[in-house]
Amino acid sequence: MIDYPVLTVTTFLPLAGAALVLFLGSERFVRWIALATTLATLVVAAPLYWRFDKGSSALQFVEAAEWIPDWGIAYAMGVDGISLPFIFLASVLSVLCVAASWTSVRTRLREFHVALLVAETAMIGLFAASNLFLFFVFWELIVIPVFLLIGVWGGPGRVYASIKFLIFTLAGSVLMLVGIIALQRLCGTLDLEALAGAAIEPGHQYWLFAAFLAAFAVKVPMFPVHTWLPNAHTEAPTAGSVILAAILLKMGAYGFLRVSLPILPDAVQRFLVPMLVVSVVAIVYGAYVTLTQTDVKRLIAYSSVSHMGFVTLGIFTLRQAGVEGAILQMINHGILSAALFLCVGMVYERTHTREIADYGGLAKAAPVYSTLLALFCLAAAGFPGLNSFVGEFLIIGGAFETRFWLGAVAIWGVALGTTYLVWLYYRVAMGKTNPGLAGLALELDAREVAILAPLALLAVVLGLYPEWILSYLHAPVAELLAGGGAP
Amino acid sequence: MNRPTTADLTLLVPELILVGMALVLILAARRIQTAPIALVGTVVAALAAAAASIWVVPSEGASGFGGMITVDGYSRFFEVLIAASLALAALLSAKTLDRDRIPRAEYHVLLLLASTGMMLAVSSLDLLTLYLGVELMTLCTIVLVGIQVENPASNEAAVKYFLIASFASALLLFGISLTYGVTGTTDFAGIASALRGRGSDPLLIAAMGLVAAGLAFKIAAVPFHAWAPDAYQGATAPVAAFLAAGSKAAGLAAVGRVALVAFDSEARTLSAILAGLAGLSIVVASIIALSQTDMKRLLAYSSIAHAGYALLGLIAGGPEGASATMTYACFYVFMTLGAFGVVIALGERGESVDGYQGLAAQRPGTAALMLIFLLALTGIPPTAGFAAKFVVIQSAVRADHVPLAVLAVVCSVVTAFVYMRIAVQMYMKEPKQAAPARLPLTVSAALAVTALVTLIGGISPGSLAPWTVPP
Repeated sequence: MIDYPVLTVTTFLPLAGAALVLFLGSERFVRWIALATTLATLVVAAPLYWRFDKGSSALQFVEAAEWIPDWGIAYAMGVDGISLPFIFLASVLSVLCVAASWTSVRTRLREFHVALLVAETAMIGLFAASNLFLFFVFWELIVIPVFLLIGVWGGPGRVYASIKFLIFTLAGSVLMLVGIIALQRLCGTLDLEALAGAAIEPGHQYWLFAAFLAAFAVKVPMFPVHTWLPNAHTEAPTAGSVILAAILLKMGAYGFLRVSLPILPDAVQRFLVPMLVVSVVAIVYGAYVTLTQTDVKRLIAYSSVSHMGFVTLGIFTLRQAGVEGAILQMINHGILSAALFLCVGMVYERTHTREIADYGGLAKAAPVYSTLLALFCLAAAGFPGLNSFVGEFLIIGGAFETRFWLGAVAIWGVALGTTYLVWLYYRVAMGKTNPGLAGLALELDAREVAILAPLALLAVVLGLYPEWILSYLHAPVAELLAGGGAP
Repeated sequence: MNRPTTADLTLLVPELILVGMALVLILAARRIQTAPIALVGTVVAALAAAAASIWVVPSEGASGFGGMITVDGYSRFFEVLIAASLALAALLSAKTLDRDRIPRAEYHVLLLLASTGMMLAVSSLDLLTLYLGVELMTLCTIVLVGIQVENPASNEAAVKYFLIASFASALLLFGISLTYGVTGTTDFAGIASALRGRGSDPLLIAAMGLVAAGLAFKIAAVPFHAWAPDAYQGATAPVAAFLAAGSKAAGLAAVGRVALVAFDSEARTLSAILAGLAGLSIVVASIIALSQTDMKRLLAYSSIAHAGYALLGLIAGGPEGASATMTYACFYVFMTLGAFGVVIALGERGESVDGYQGLAAQRPGTAALMLIFLLALTGIPPTAGFAAKFVVIQSAVRADHVPLAVLAVVCSVVTAFVYMRIAVQMYMKEPKQAAPARLPLTVSAALAVTALVTLIGGISPGSLAPWTVPP
């Protein structure tokens, strides 16, 4: 067996690919190089999956090196069952992003693919980092490529959307920076495993929790700092929307799991009720706002607010079922929001409109497309047998366990979710074919089917056999909750 | 006092090299107006001075001229930094000198002498030599600002700068004389020992306040910043770059030594004064920068805000704080020279924010470089700007100045808007003007050096640590 630092290689291979693209003389092979890089990243990460020990809650594939000894900062990487699925998700989606942009991106190919590959490095690195400083570096690193993806290749309102995204994200993360520095001062280390065992005075914990909350809440996004999301997701090009919805939104929730819960347990207890309330507000408010949207992409964007509300609700139930459900739901939402944005992007390439009113009757004109869209809409709505059902079921189970009213409100959110997704499908695919669509070749080509197929497969497999992901989560989540998080 | 010995003179080898080259250029002035000899000579002298300060000058902590001049790790660090900014400023000037028909020899002589003053200021152990060094620097830079004799804007800037600078010098001198009155000496070690164990008295606070105010003019900290935007705007871009880089680094070095050596026992009072200056600089400059449309003015406000960030380390105090400020000063010099470098490279077009429209489509390489410098100025990893910001915030938090740290990072979001506005122009707008000419070789070289330092400093900031020796 070949032995190499798997995490470091997986993280930085896309960056190497980006450098290659950057210094390549011609733009002819840019797409191929980017595709090859993302596929190679998927391959070099393979040992992570077959050599991973699911029974252990400790970090595995640990790598450590000196980095900035004078500032007490080390380079440390390692994954556990919580972070591994996200590395998988990020590396799979990166391949799909390159493939999905094959025909839709025609300007500044080189910069586009550099941004995409740098974003992949940041996404994988974030989930692989086991040192808070390194975590922060990747956290910030992703902002710039996504800012450019939105602002350069986005829709008509792209400049406003990109600036809004940048300012919101930075405003959150600078406070996290102060929090990180304060943690280092209090505990003398930034190693996440060591910090999890540190006893921090509750008075300090509250402030630290607030500082980290600023960063995580913006990324999730939680109500009321979600307002950047509809702009950014709607204006971004398809690949940008996929990265935003599938990975970027998970970074905040992942932060709660990595920092808030294990390191600041007293503060979590203290702020438990507000966090739960904000989560259910996001679920219900997000769902109602989603119902009123008339733009397909904006509708899917807003649905993320509601869906991520479920995730934070699950995390802050602090029950095994709730937290596992939340993590599973993060993966599910990653798959489904990516799939839905890809679906929208594919049809937009043909029609150049995102207004729901301009669609209708796609089921006749594009049966394969409509079937896949139906699958993804149903899955996102929590249809039994498809992936979201299990996640939502676990989360709501955890919610009922902690506080009855939380479960009741969350169920209402599920009902609303079904409504807006099924209604969307009804307006887009059913009824009479919209005359405006006449003469357009709406059916998917082989490339597009190949992009959506893996996601459809994942949605079905995870619906029927969620234990595939859950088996990774049992040990680390039990450890997380035993560490002081549970009441 | 005895006559200077050879040992004394060895301490001044870097300064002597610069002065020597200045004299050569003055003598040869009439012959070299067209050839690039002045540029080559200046760069060679700067490199030689840096090399001399690293290798020729004797071991640690030597002092000479009756304890007025020293060579220690601190002065060595700043001397190399000043030499670097001199060399880079000279490289950046090459094209502008031709365009504006500025006399080459005189221009380079002034650059060399200003750098000599800076080096003298960073290595002085006495308020009087410090004053001499700082004034030499200021006088030369005033002339540099006004060197476009036929340009009224340049003259106006020079006059403004001169008036405010003389006011600042008066404050500094007044502070020095009050310090002498309280302690009976102008020697840093003497002041420190005279103040030890002695209660705070109003006269002393006034003395410290005046010295701090005088030096705050040099680093352009709010409320002593008013000259900077006008001077930068009126001067040619390379001179503005030199002011923003070299003279700010020298001023910070002077503040650092005065705060940490001379007034060490009064650190609490002085750090309160500095905290006020830093907080005001960061807040005011970040906000005013939002509305700037002229790049030189924008970068002037940026340099004011950065002076505030750099002061955070000195406010925290102690050797760690001093090292933090030194790290900040070093990375700041390179990233700000880089940003000015792009402004200079684009010529007329580079001097207004609108000029950057569509640059990425026309000159992707130049736009990418500018993006790196803008990210560094904002403080986003993996650039040196982030490392610099991290280390000063770290020292502020360690010294329990958490509110100041929070204020600083919140304002960095405001400055993010300032810098990213330019990124938006470059990447997200369509070009309206003709593509700029190819970069001249000298400017490319300077940009390459600054970009390398900005990136390597961000990835491996620890490699600077052995050099950041506190005074």
